[in-house]
Amino acid sequence: MVNLAQRTLNRGLFERVFSLMELVERIPDDLSDEEVEGITALLPTDVAQTVTAFLEPRVRRAGIFFLKMIARWMREAVEAKSSGKKVIFVPFNFVPELIHAFKSAVPLTSEVLSSLGAAAVKGKGHVYWDFAMGLGIPDHLCSSSTIELGSMLSGTDMTADAIISSAAGACDANAKIHEFAANYLGIPQFVLEKPVDDTSKGIEQYEKNFLRLTESLERFTGEALSEEGLQEVASNINRASEIYYEIWEMKKLVPCPVPNLFSFFMYGCRFTMWGRKESVDFFELMAKEVKEGIAKGKFKQIPEKVRCGWLYTGYYIDYAGLFSWMQDKGYSYLWDILDLFFPEPISIESRESILSGICESSRRFPMTRQMGAESMSAAWLEDAAHIARELSADCAIFCGHHACKQTWSVISMVSRELQRISGIPTLNLQGDAWLSRVTPISVIQSEIDSFVRNVIRNKGERRKIRRRKGWRTTQYPTLATGLEDERE
Amino acid sequence: MVEDNMQKVINLASEIFNEEVKAWKEAGGRVIGYSCVMTPPELIQAAGFLPYRIRALGNVKTEKADSYLSRFNCSFCRSCLELGLDGTYDFLDGLVETNGCDHLRGMFENWQYAKKTEYFHYLKVPHVINENSLDYFEEEIRLFKESLEAYSGKKVDAESLARAAGEQEAVRERVRKIYSLRERELPAFSGFEATALVLVSSAISPQRFLELADQIITEREGGKIAYRGTRLMLCGAATDELELVKAIESLDGVIVTDSLCYGTRAYARIIDPQAMLSKPERTLAEAYLLDLLCPRMYEDYARRRDYVLKAVERSNVDGVIVMHNKFCDVHGVDNVQLRMDLERRGIPVLQLEKEYGSIADVGRIKTRVQAFLERIGVIESGGRL
Repeated sequence: MVNLAQRTLNRGLFERVFSLMELVERIPDDLSDEEVEGITALLPTDVAQTVTAFLEPRVRRAGIFFLKMIARWMREAVEAKSSGKKVIFVPFNFVPELIHAFKSAVPLTSEVLSSLGAAAVKGKGHVYWDFAMGLGIPDHLCSSSTIELGSMLSGTDMTADAIISSAAGACDANAKIHEFAANYLGIPQFVLEKPVDDTSKGIEQYEKNFLRLTESLERFTGEALSEEGLQEVASNINRASEIYYEIWEMKKLVPCPVPNLFSFFMYGCRFTMWGRKESVDFFELMAKEVKEGIAKGKFKQIPEKVRCGWLYTGYYIDYAGLFSWMQDKGYSYLWDILDLFFPEPISIESRESILSGICESSRRFPMTRQMGAESMSAAWLEDAAHIARELSADCAIFCGHHACKQTWSVISMVSRELQRISGIPTLNLQGDAWLSRVTPISVIQSEIDSFVRNVIRNKGERRKIRRRKGWRTTQYPTLATGLEDERE
Repeated sequence: MVEDNMQKVINLASEIFNEEVKAWKEAGGRVIGYSCVMTPPELIQAAGFLPYRIRALGNVKTEKADSYLSRFNCSFCRSCLELGLDGTYDFLDGLVETNGCDHLRGMFENWQYAKKTEYFHYLKVPHVINENSLDYFEEEIRLFKESLEAYSGKKVDAESLARAAGEQEAVRERVRKIYSLRERELPAFSGFEATALVLVSSAISPQRFLELADQIITEREGGKIAYRGTRLMLCGAATDELELVKAIESLDGVIVTDSLCYGTRAYARIIDPQAMLSKPERTLAEAYLLDLLCPRMYEDYARRRDYVLKAVERSNVDGVIVMHNKFCDVHGVDNVQLRMDLERRGIPVLQLEKEYGSIADVGRIKTRVQAFLERIGVIESGGRL
């Protein structure tokens, strides 16, 4: 295994991303356009695209904060390794705040690392995916977890001390690759199952599963979660949650004053530093930036042409090519499924009340709530229709990611019913959200453009009918009515 | 006479709405379809219905199903859905959904969306085994029983459940017997025949199956099939494709055992019918959860691996073929681990990804199996292709 890895890989994904983040830690909190230009000129194209998106003027201050926050998150893992703390790999649909409440453990989210790799390292992390394929892992698995786990499997990267899987019941692809990695590397795995049951029985069962997992983690780390540690985490969550809803309210404005990339920033923070003071500071900064934009009318510089809701995830192969490009075209990226974590206040009364609150957040986590529901289509549709109405979406876009069998299996029902209930059409894309070699971003852009041009912008426009001279309706009897209509 | 019986089984196995089911329906009986091995047919039978395990039998047409599911969903589920939509499964009065995998969940949701059945129940099965999940599943079994009672309009009493459990256990016992005859040094059944018997065991009434199985076992017990070549084991995803098994066995290999959900995995559990008289739900929960050897279960890989290793040793297998249908994540990943673990022990393995029921794929599969047989070194040169 290691020999093959050594022949194909030199360094692991985590290490490569972290060396970039070490540079990020050194840049000032604000940069001039010239400084940004200077930085991007020095970077390889793959990396420059991400940096350009994160440092463009509309989002620059938040972008720098976000990158530094991620740098800190990664540094804590590096330091944890050297100080004997446990590094616990978690999937994106697991509550990192539970691990943050431990003094002796830090969380690392495999999908976030894959996203960073796909966006910020030369070669976009494909080599790690290829390594996993070389082991025989099927190519229909999810690249979001397989890129990072492939790096870890190669033996050239940081190895986690334990892996948590919380997709059992909601996503086979995710749960199976985490199981494989744990078995292959010989490290403990803790499974949090989501029963596909939305009754009180199912909720109670999830609580039992969550408490069982917490106890296992306490045994594994040798540390009992303290009430103080949990209170600190919960207080930060409560404050950040308030600001989350403040930003959410501002998204309702037409035109939308919240920059497209903030959608990604919100869940990027949720999946990494939620429960930490940094998450509060970050959400405060984002809210401040939006308010400032509203006050100065900045967001009106490019007229909003269409308000898009992404039913599933976005694409993370090129942030400038998706989020910034859409912004420049006047296409608002209102939300994607990962934004829908709708935090609720956590009672800090006792250890039990806090754990119960975190458990509830975990049960209602994006994707867990929809794909782990009794009816995937009903739960997904309910969220989509509600939010489409609340945020006045003109259309929906489905980021068709080939690994997501559960969403692909019900998207036809969801898009059909969404059209019926909310009156908005859905664009179904096909690609891989983390592997650029499957569908390039230019194709995604072109499909979105065509959709907006042909379906959305013409919606409601009065069709002007004129009769072409010399045409008789009997000429093509079966198509007579249709062919008489011709737009001027 | 015996060959007539075997041929009858093959005929029954090759048809979805087979003559036994037709006769059952004509007599006014109702049929409940289910797909996963974690569904207890005992309950369905005790409620007065004929339990029927959904299959696609290699159906390759998926035009209607593809407008609901997508090309990223496994072709077995698409094939089953197609048969649901095109009317082939109109004889089913009800459906039981289980959360077997993401594809299967999607298949049932679409089936219900496009074409509602008179009866529908969702049996939720945990993905891990512990005391909590066992309690949960016991409650699920109870709810399933109540739902069947509501549909049938009669109470499922302990006696009728014990009777049904006894018959279903007898069916499993016969299948285990057939497998033991198949696994011996001079096999009494080919893989094709054994697969046909397994398919029929969940597609006709238990009483009728027992009659057929007993006659066939009596005849075959002292005989052997004509074969030469390699002893193979087949592992992996839903494989009800008789033609595929036949194609593999046309290459001088015989499949002497398997670890398939349309195979031994459905018959490994043993249930004491007497236990139905005292604690029926708990007994069924334990049998159907604790003995569930399916890659959709987590924290349980070692048991699945050991099950295969034991079968390899018991059946004196020369090589193992592990298969999964394209886009099947649970088998696709498990098969990688299984291949590694078997190869580490010196057992030759062929890992195959395939499209379900694809005639076009058979040629490719035969080429790969042939190469595998040559690699094992058992096949004589000049073997048939």
